[in-house]
Amino acid sequence: MQVTETLNQGLKREYKIAIPASQLRSKVDGKLNELGQKLRIPGFRPGKVPMTLLKQRYETAVMGEVLEESVQQSSQQLMTERSLRPASQPKVELIGEFKPEADLEFSVALEVIPDITPMDFTTISLERVVVEVPDNEVDDSLNRIAKRQRSSEAAADDYVAKNGDIAVIDFVGSIGGVEFQGGKADGHYLELGSGAFIPGFEEQLVGVKKGDKKTVKVTFPAEYGNSDLAGKEAEFAITVNEVRVLKDVPVDDELAKSLGLADLAELKKQARERIEREYGVVSRARVKRKLLDVLADKHDFTLPEVLVEAEFGAIWQQIEADMKADRLDEEDKGKSEDDLKKEYREIAARRVKLGLLLSEVGRHNNIQVPNEELSRALIQEAQRYPGQQQQVIEYYQRSPEALNQLRAPLYEEKVVDFILERAKVNERKVSPEKFAEEGEAELKGRRD
Amino acid sequence: MSRARKMEKPVVTLSDAAKLEIIRRPHVTEKATMGSEHNQVTFRVPLEASKPEIKAAVESVFKVKVTAVNTIRVEGKSKLWRGRPGKRPDFKKAIVTLAEGSKIDVTTGI
Repeated sequence: MQVTETLNQGLKREYKIAIPASQLRSKVDGKLNELGQKLRIPGFRPGKVPMTLLKQRYETAVMGEVLEESVQQSSQQLMTERSLRPASQPKVELIGEFKPEADLEFSVALEVIPDITPMDFTTISLERVVVEVPDNEVDDSLNRIAKRQRSSEAAADDYVAKNGDIAVIDFVGSIGGVEFQGGKADGHYLELGSGAFIPGFEEQLVGVKKGDKKTVKVTFPAEYGNSDLAGKEAEFAITVNEVRVLKDVPVDDELAKSLGLADLAELKKQARERIEREYGVVSRARVKRKLLDVLADKHDFTLPEVLVEAEFGAIWQQIEADMKADRLDEEDKGKSEDDLKKEYREIAARRVKLGLLLSEVGRHNNIQVPNEELSRALIQEAQRYPGQQQQVIEYYQRSPEALNQLRAPLYEEKVVDFILERAKVNERKVSPEKFAEEGEAELKGRRD
Repeated sequence: MSRARKMEKPVVTLSDAAKLEIIRRPHVTEKATMGSEHNQVTFRVPLEASKPEIKAAVESVFKVKVTAVNTIRVEGKSKLWRGRPGKRPDFKKAIVTLAEGSKIDVTTGI
């Protein structure tokens, strides 16, 4: 194998590789021999097929195989010998027409991954916003839980129903004296004022008692789901079987126990933790964005064009689809296509830069995604397709590329964690209102 | 001086098409390839083909010189087919010895 470098410019490399014919010949012969050992041809015992016959029948096929193999092998060898790290699949091209008895010559063109020296992460200083959850937010959440838990009990016979009570009713609905489909039910639990029925219906039931019979006249709203009924006036004959009063469940130890917890303090703690976790996720995303900003700022290296082009291509496809469907962001609408292209090319470049940087950092520091985490992600993904979990999992197990797509975000998180551990992160406590405000301000005018 | 009457050389008259008919196909087996060291090639020929006919056919079709022709009739195997006795057809092999300097590439086919 003879290698000559024909281009070394920036990140681009091009090599010419020549493989002597004799080397190919011996490889082909070896392969044919091997083939002859197991080939069954009528008239011959296995392994006794004469070479001439083998050559006649299989030489071209074997030659193609050998060519492909040696091209691949020698490009691989080239990479390891010169310790090149290609940014993409190398482009291999045959020089001239291939003749069986001539030396094989081909060129390999590729772009390498630039040398990246990650900055000293300890010099990064970031601010993590920690939200102090005020007590009233915890209480709100507890009240919501309590409301979900409340039950109703039958009221006294002469109790007059008011908003918020439940009326257990039989009803028969008719339009112009004719019953219509779906307008009839027995023993229906209707919470007055809940807005579950068409407007006007529940209001007219306020003030009924157990055993009352009443006719309610309502007009179906014009935009009612069933077009047969929309806009029509209807009468409902109603019998009130019972009036039930909702009983509020007090926020106390009892409530906590019914939820399987020890006492109210425990419940409070859990509620607070859950809220804190929710804020934590958002806060982390913000820190990460800031970190990426810093990283993109502080690093400057040439980017492999192929990668940027590929990324840009993907974005642009999306944009073009959006353009056709007229779904462009407000901001983008006024801009010319060239401007947009320029803008998105920058975004693509940023993504490639960060992607390379993060993977480089991960590689240097031997960061890996543990299998358990991957399988957890896999299960989560599978649960998005109810009923087909098994197929989804099998699909991922069979295709390593798909699995890599699952792994990529996990890996990114790991690397970000790694950097954050080293960076200086100051914590600042804020109230939830301020937190939301800051988040909106930050997001304004940026897309990446 | 032998007392036997000298046999006359048989005269073969075959049309071009008939010559092609005689050489049915090359017979490529391990045994047949062994003959290639002695400048022999093997063909399948019709059962009724005679040696002079085969010689004439091979000489004219491949443009070679033939020194000898040996033939073997091979009886078809009897096989049971769905429990009933059957028989594979018989065939004739012709081992043709070529004069030095002549060559036939058997596997290229006709």
